[in-house]
Amino acid sequence: MDNKRFEQLLLSVQKPGRYSGGEINSVVKDKKDIDVRFAFCFPDNYEVGMSHLGMKILYSQFNERKDIWCERVFAPWPDFEAVMRQNNILLFGLESREPIKDFDFIGFTLQYELSYSNILNMLELSGLPLLAKDRKDFTPLVVAGGPCTCNAEPIADFVDIFFLGEGEQSDLEVIDLYKKCKKNGKSKKDFLIEASKIEGVYVPSLYDVSYNDDGTIEKITPKENAPMPIRKRIETDLDKTYYPEKFVVPYIEIVHDRAVQEIFRGCIRGCRFCQAGFIYRPVREKSVETICRQAKAICESTGYDEISLSSLSTSDYTKLEPLLNDLLDFTEKDKISLSLPSLRIDNFSDELLEKINHVRKSGLTFAVEAGTQRLRNVINKNITEEEIIRTCKTAFAGGYTAVKLYFMMGLPTETYDDIKGIADLAQKIVDTFYEMPNKPKGKSVSVNISVSNFVPKPFTPFEFHPQITREEIVAKQQYLKECIRSRKITFNYHENKTSFLEGVFARGDRRLSAVILKAHEKGCKFDSWDEYFDLDKWNEAFAECGIVPEFYANRERTYEEINPWDHLDYCVSKGFLIKENEQAKLAVTTPNCRQKCASCGANVFGKGVCFEKR
Amino acid sequence: MFSERVFVLKSVRLLFTKSARARFVSHLDINRFMTRIVRKAKLDIWYTEGFNPHPYITFALPLPLGFEGKYEIMDIRINDDNAPLGEIVDKLNSVCPPDIRFFDAVEPIKKVGEIGYATYDIVFDDNGNVAQKLKEFIGKDKIVTKKRTKKGDYKEIDIKEKIKAFDIGVVGNETKLSLVLPAGSDDNINPALLIDSFYNDFNDEYYCYTVTRTSILDKNMEKFI
Ligand code: SF4
Repeated sequence: MDNKRFEQLLLSVQKPGRYSGGEINSVVKDKKDIDVRFAFCFPDNYEVGMSHLGMKILYSQFNERKDIWCERVFAPWPDFEAVMRQNNILLFGLESREPIKDFDFIGFTLQYELSYSNILNMLELSGLPLLAKDRKDFTPLVVAGGPCTCNAEPIADFVDIFFLGEGEQSDLEVIDLYKKCKKNGKSKKDFLIEASKIEGVYVPSLYDVSYNDDGTIEKITPKENAPMPIRKRIETDLDKTYYPEKFVVPYIEIVHDRAVQEIFRGCIRGCRFCQAGFIYRPVREKSVETICRQAKAICESTGYDEISLSSLSTSDYTKLEPLLNDLLDFTEKDKISLSLPSLRIDNFSDELLEKINHVRKSGLTFAVEAGTQRLRNVINKNITEEEIIRTCKTAFAGGYTAVKLYFMMGLPTETYDDIKGIADLAQKIVDTFYEMPNKPKGKSVSVNISVSNFVPKPFTPFEFHPQITREEIVAKQQYLKECIRSRKITFNYHENKTSFLEGVFARGDRRLSAVILKAHEKGCKFDSWDEYFDLDKWNEAFAECGIVPEFYANRERTYEEINPWDHLDYCVSKGFLIKENEQAKLAVTTPNCRQKCASCGANVFGKGVCFEKR
Repeated sequence: MFSERVFVLKSVRLLFTKSARARFVSHLDINRFMTRIVRKAKLDIWYTEGFNPHPYITFALPLPLGFEGKYEIMDIRINDDNAPLGEIVDKLNSVCPPDIRFFDAVEPIKKVGEIGYATYDIVFDDNGNVAQKLKEFIGKDKIVTKKRTKKGDYKEIDIKEKIKAFDIGVVGNETKLSLVLPAGSDDNINPALLIDSFYNDFNDEYYCYTVTRTSILDKNMEKFI
């Protein structure tokens, strides 16, 4: 298709800026100088994908290499997809506008399970066979990384290579191996066998899975001397880890339209529901100097006037106060606003609050997660009601009047008392406000309760638990609504049909590949978007494949059962997870990594929090 | 004891082109883009006062999405009235993507309210097939079409009487229609209105076209600067 015609078609769709490319810092290279072309695919729309930090890191890292040209690809929104199909436009890289089926690698990032149907749709729009075994040509190789690779078995049939853990090094090692194999005339199969020997590389076709009569897994067997288990890869020294000096700056508005500075990876807390808290272990920090240098470079190269610090729990950064001081030095001068997400309240000092106040005054958000102390102990969320109230008092005295509380519903052992506890806590915060002599004058308080549905995930102590059913969720939501008495309290929830499907995929196995293929044929896509999610179609697909989804989501698993992800080693041992689950049942908490090592297994890397002096 | 520094704000009118991929950047997005570009270029630009200060930037005449612009105008204010204007252009170009280029910086002479017309080139990728039809179409006494009003409803207008001047020629494989149409806050005619109503009439193959706004004129048909 010639460019003029293509551009005319672009003008017929919503937000053509999603597909036009040419943004600040986007990279265009001369094909002559390139050995490897990499299509970095985000299986969601441009606005979501461009907000994602991992993509920015790898895009820059690849393009720093002279022999690699990495381009960006997003899932076309259905209006543009229709135009593409009508006009036989194959899915293309934004930078070159050339079909990605001619690239060497097509790499997907797996951020959430509900993007799986988009992966199939994107492969189809590329004009490629969907199943890995049907892609006989050496290239393009379909690879995938990101958090969901800790159990991406449901899409194992479509992908040639998964990267486990952090991909900064394994990606490049695979690319170098590819160049070598290509030069020596090796076959795709030989290449995949070689690649499986690289640490952090998982080639699903090299493992056979057999099943018991009851549907559980009997055995996972490696072939061709493939490693077993396959261990994740991590960066051990974040001060030496690649971090981009430039981000592509979109023209159109995206979800997180700002500079992002990573401050550490992992989380010391060990909240038992949180997959990120386990799969990114151990905690590794960047130094204050590195963070400031990188943050400054990004602000300068992008022109952004806002920078946000990224980590799982900002307030756990060991040198937070010196860091904020140094950052504020240049952000204030350059009129850059600093945002600090995911602040925990239990180590919120007055001084820190003062500093944040200095930066911006927006609402306070607290991830309380559960309504009663008992349940918070079960999930190892070590916050007490007293601490929450105290922090709110400080915040109210500092002029805050809006509080947002995040909770989960459907946690293991949860009762209706725990649900009522959510409303009670919100009420106590409202009461606290009105009892304060020094409350902000002439203002009223607002407490917003936001409740999401808990989905049990692999590599967490709750991986054994059944997910609660939709009927139970609806009943609990209704009950919570009835428990709320004050008009100062608002309750946000959505029916969330999607969490069931998320739960099925999260702990699913390879047999789900057939279901995803079927659902794709029925037109399922953009499942994380309410307006496109169609549970009926998914149910049809399950039925037609003879698969009962509740088997994956709503069944209690024994400790002896072989899980679909048991051949993957995320360096948190199953023994540790079992112990944590038993502690959970007793509502006993586990100290965080800085208080006392719980011997999860992540110390095998020889770095990080495990070796800090306590 | 201390010397007082007096800041004299200087208005600077920047001229730029918007082409190729930048055609797909809407006016709203260009606005946000420019605030980032002036920061990235480290211009000593004046920021608005208040809680959320941002660089002061205004545009003379928004360019519709999909159009190329050869004569786009943006006004800024800089803190240092001795700053050489040429340097500003270089600084901006060094940080701008290739599809947005600055070509001049001047002290504004006319006020934005004096804008009266804009000139456009509309190029059809048609092997010269539309030239004749286009001549007949524009040769008509009246070209009545519906235009969206500010209130959101539609009213009928005769575009023919709005066309201040036009020219049709064939260059190579392409037909070029040049137009002068009213522009600015009093009366603004988007040439797409004319093309749409032409294609409504012309029941033949659809040829791609691109629209370029080539210049902005004042009410006396002189270059707006
Ligand atoms: S080994 Fe100990 S310190 Fe290290 S991550 Fe695991 S629990 Fe934390």
